[in-house]
Amino acid sequence: MLEIRNLDVAYGHAKVLHDVSLDIERGEMAFFIGRNGAGKTTLLKTIIGLLKPQNGSIVYQGQEISGLSPEDLYLKGLRYVAQEKKVFGNLTVQENIEIAAFASGEPMDHALDKVTRIYPKLKDFLKTKAGQLSGGQRQILLVGRALVGEPKLLLVDEPTQGLAAIVIEEIVNILSGLKDQVSAVIVEQNLAMVNRLADRLFILKEGKVAREIVDRSEISDTKELEEYL
Amino acid sequence: MKKELSLDEGKAPCDKPIDLLAELRSTPIKEHGVIDLLGIAAFFLVITPLLSTHRITDFMIFCIFAMSFDLLYGYMGRLSFGQMLYLGTGAYFCGLFIRYVSGNPLLAILAGIAFAGFLSMLLGLIIVRTTGACFALINLAFNHIGFFLVLSPLRGITRGEDGFGVSASKFGSLSLTSRPIMFGFVLLCVLLVFYVLRRLTSSPYGILIRSIKEDETRVRFLGYNTFYYKWLTFVLAGSIAGLAGSLTALNYSYVNPNAMDVHSNVGVVFACLIGGAGNLYGAIVGGVVYMIISNLLPIYIYRWEMFLGFSLIIIVFRFRTGVWGYIQRSWEYLVKRKVVPGAMKKEAI
Repeated sequence: MLEIRNLDVAYGHAKVLHDVSLDIERGEMAFFIGRNGAGKTTLLKTIIGLLKPQNGSIVYQGQEISGLSPEDLYLKGLRYVAQEKKVFGNLTVQENIEIAAFASGEPMDHALDKVTRIYPKLKDFLKTKAGQLSGGQRQILLVGRALVGEPKLLLVDEPTQGLAAIVIEEIVNILSGLKDQVSAVIVEQNLAMVNRLADRLFILKEGKVAREIVDRSEISDTKELEEYL
Repeated sequence: MKKELSLDEGKAPCDKPIDLLAELRSTPIKEHGVIDLLGIAAFFLVITPLLSTHRITDFMIFCIFAMSFDLLYGYMGRLSFGQMLYLGTGAYFCGLFIRYVSGNPLLAILAGIAFAGFLSMLLGLIIVRTTGACFALINLAFNHIGFFLVLSPLRGITRGEDGFGVSASKFGSLSLTSRPIMFGFVLLCVLLVFYVLRRLTSSPYGILIRSIKEDETRVRFLGYNTFYYKWLTFVLAGSIAGLAGSLTALNYSYVNPNAMDVHSNVGVVFACLIGGAGNLYGAIVGGVVYMIISNLLPIYIYRWEMFLGFSLIIIVFRFRTGVWGYIQRSWEYLVKRKVVPGAMKKEAI
């Protein structure tokens, strides 16, 4: 589904990704782990079109997408959930969903139903300004909003960062419910979550793919993986 | 859930741009009931005996201008210091149309709106690519250019600093030179602009431009071509400012470079802040309050601008959602008990 070949990305003169090559199969949940500065977020931002690669190619469903704008990539079914948990704070929860429904041409009641089904408590907050939601609720709203309009590939950056354990559990359950329905590339440091959800794991180190793990028993070996964090 | 999210059957989301006319037709009318319009009409009719018909007509024209500015600044978050360019363009083209083509005031108004809209279409292609201070200043720069053009190089047509008289002919049995008729006509225009903008800003288009105000990049993540919507909003705001300009020319029966004076941009910024940005009621309330301050205060206070400055400081520090925002929140607090008073302070301008 997603093939990345010899990708080099730099911020000015500072090269962040070096010759990154990887494949993600259709329907997989691929996780990226690594220390701060390893290039995980940079990789997601490059896939979604926020950064332009110096070299290399990104092929999505057989089509070269490097250099395409985020709006073009949205139309191709890519959805990006950024790290900062930034919803449109001055819009209500319903309006946050409505704007995604309108973009995708999905009927509003259908979109609302889709989002509230993954987290029914959101029904109580539909008329609340999204800025008043807790961090966890915002994250759930962002993931839910990304599901509006038939997504094909979710790109999620550190969905559990800074959240309480109970909320993390909620998010893991939501993502778990999406398994086999939508492909996902998730940057995450929470190894328990990686252990539960990952079909494929990439370890990034200093801008390079240090290891690729597909074997479940290796993914479950959190002690070994901790060395890379 | 499983049936809805399919990897193979998922169709690509549609990228059809928002059709503003369809938005106007599809937004439920009951949300923007006649009560709002009657309230605004009643408000202007009530304050008219306190001042004068001509003055209130002037106030209402300024309110139309304030609503055009509010669409840009309050809703889309783009502060412009050059909105007077489109007001002036509307005024000049309305006046020139009457002078050289036809005395029909309605056609002249349409000419004013069309040329202001056309100018904003052209300049918008450059201007909406910028944000923040750059957006404000590039608007100011174009306003300066326009002011200079009507003052000097085009003086053969515009009669430079002297300006020229505008005497519209009768429209049927109605003459817009009659002050009560002009008052009624401008009131209708205020209500029409309010109605159209209210419906648009309550539709997905309105949600979209408010989202652009918050975070344009994230709106692009949702598949929107933000450039197009910013440009559309810019053109809409420019055209409405052109309407205000055309009405100014007819109300004063005169056009001179003051209609495009760059310094007058401060007035509309003040009006929006006083009334409360991002709210059409706020634009109307702010427009009226500003006009009262700038028209009546000079009679009693020599350096009245200082009072305006102080009032703005108070608004920025104490009433950050403007007069209308404060009234609204106080009402909600008293009636619905929905808002904690302290929450008012958290609102940003």
